[in-house]
Amino acid sequence: MSPALTTVLLSAAFAAYLGATLLYLGHLKWRRPGLAQAALVTVSSGLALQTTVLLARWLAAGYLPVTNLFSTLFFFSWALAACYLYFELRYRIRATGLFVLFLNLLLLGAALPRDPAIKPLIASLDTPLFTLHIICSFVGYAFFAMAFSLGVLYLLQQRLGTDLFPELPLLRKLNEEAIFLGFVLFTLCMIFGAIWAFVAWGYWFSWNIKSVWSFIVWLFYAGMCHAKFIKRWQGTGYAWLSIAGFGVVLFTYLGIGLLLSSNHPLD
Amino acid sequence: MPTRLWNLLCNLKLAIWLASVATVLTMAGSIVMIKYPKTFGSIDQMILADWFARFGQARPGLSWWLWLVAGAVLLLGLNTLCCFFDWLLRIRARWRKSGEYLIHLGFILCLGAFVWGSLAGSRSEGNAIRVGESLPLAGLLPGHALRLDTFEPVFVGGQFSDMRSTLTLLRDGRELRTEVIRLNHPLTEGDLIVLPATFAQEAEGFRCDSPQGSIELRPGSVLRLPDGRVLRVLRFFADVRRGGDGRIYPVGDEVNNPAFELELLHPQDGPWRGWYLLREGLPAPLTAAGIQLQPREPLLRAISVLTINRDPGAELAKIGGILMGLGVALALLSFYAKRRRGDRPELD
Repeated sequence: MSPALTTVLLSAAFAAYLGATLLYLGHLKWRRPGLAQAALVTVSSGLALQTTVLLARWLAAGYLPVTNLFSTLFFFSWALAACYLYFELRYRIRATGLFVLFLNLLLLGAALPRDPAIKPLIASLDTPLFTLHIICSFVGYAFFAMAFSLGVLYLLQQRLGTDLFPELPLLRKLNEEAIFLGFVLFTLCMIFGAIWAFVAWGYWFSWNIKSVWSFIVWLFYAGMCHAKFIKRWQGTGYAWLSIAGFGVVLFTYLGIGLLLSSNHPLD
Repeated sequence: MPTRLWNLLCNLKLAIWLASVATVLTMAGSIVMIKYPKTFGSIDQMILADWFARFGQARPGLSWWLWLVAGAVLLLGLNTLCCFFDWLLRIRARWRKSGEYLIHLGFILCLGAFVWGSLAGSRSEGNAIRVGESLPLAGLLPGHALRLDTFEPVFVGGQFSDMRSTLTLLRDGRELRTEVIRLNHPLTEGDLIVLPATFAQEAEGFRCDSPQGSIELRPGSVLRLPDGRVLRVLRFFADVRRGGDGRIYPVGDEVNNPAFELELLHPQDGPWRGWYLLREGLPAPLTAAGIQLQPREPLLRAISVLTINRDPGAELAKIGGILMGLGVALALLSFYAKRRRGDRPELD
């Protein structure tokens, strides 16, 4: 797939997510079920376009091409859309996912101006462990992003008490599920990463800043998986933790990748 | 009192507190690590015990947080272990939590493996080995040695891609096994792991034009001349300087001022031995003997540079990782099962 076609298809996906966002906003205002249905179809179209681009690039490259800032932003956006769709199809969350869609627009919008050319794979990344590590990592991040959005919405709903959004118990349930699924995937990401580190470097835990912060992310969400059993931390506390946790995730993914020197450079 | 202590050690809130303390301390420590690369830059090049002995103790003002992180994580490990045993004691009633507690057990094993490897392991970088040479592993695995049988740097489209070293592990001179190692494909034997780190090239001789055609001269080469004389190459240095005393001194590995030490043998006359500095031209005794050599290019041979580590905890960590993987799979299954039953924590 040529870089130009990639850009065209991703622009179409961006337009689809933008359309879905507007449709959900319309649904919030006018409460027409048709608008929510149309938004779901539009999000699905955007994800289908992104999936097509992802598969075409994967086939063309011969490896999962998630090795630089463009491709990680694109893949994160794809994972986030897939994650949103999972919750939408499972719980019909509708406009609850607006924050996720906004975030998705930011990610894809940041990816679009960048060069989509696929670079040859460097030998150290030529292992199935790379693919597994990347997929688990970004899908895990996507669930943490979903939890962040649900956390924000929980706090908003607590203050507004509006019937525009789901009730607090449902939001709490969704938040816990997002955190749990994110933790499951991130644990697998850490396991695959540790095995890869061992065969690549000869040690399975590195004190490199990226590895240290990945451990922090894992520890933080491990703590959250326990905190849901403590009454004081349920609901509001959990929402705040979800927001804080996503801050840690963002720093681990973008902050370290762009601002600091690490063994996971983004460009 | 023992019951109270046990309850404290199994306490869920304690786990959250310890995880929070470890998280915050590691966050703060990571900033110290970034700010002081001279102290922390080599932390991955050696096991943690060696790093503490060399750097941590010398800079206590910078390494104190690591002690606290270690303390918090070890206490978290103890808390996790106690929770695991507490679950084991009630497994008949709480078997549905098997996935979650396998994750606990996996974490404990990984933590134990890390401590073991950090205290009893070893790391060694920059082990250069030439084809045909053996490298004794005395400090790492007594009685063992590594022999490099072949080495091949791989280039794709002119770009470096990989390096393949055929290594034979020897014990008391006997071959144990031979393996081709490359990136992401190390040689492992027990707790030993051997990885390709990089490679270098060194000149081992020179290709020269002669009336007999193109010849390769390296230590050990023999050139038989038509009149029965024999020219032998004794030594080669890539870079030499001639001292004030007229003697030749090697100064480096870069091909800059290469020189051969040669010996010319004649059936009747006595042998001649001397230096041929390629930049200066053939010495008079050789030209007088009718020898003509035109240096063309250096003969390069590759050196494989290996990382050789020992981690006695690696197998334990592998078991821990497998248990954690199984644990998350089971936890996922039980999560959906519980959701179907509507069984979840109490709401506010």
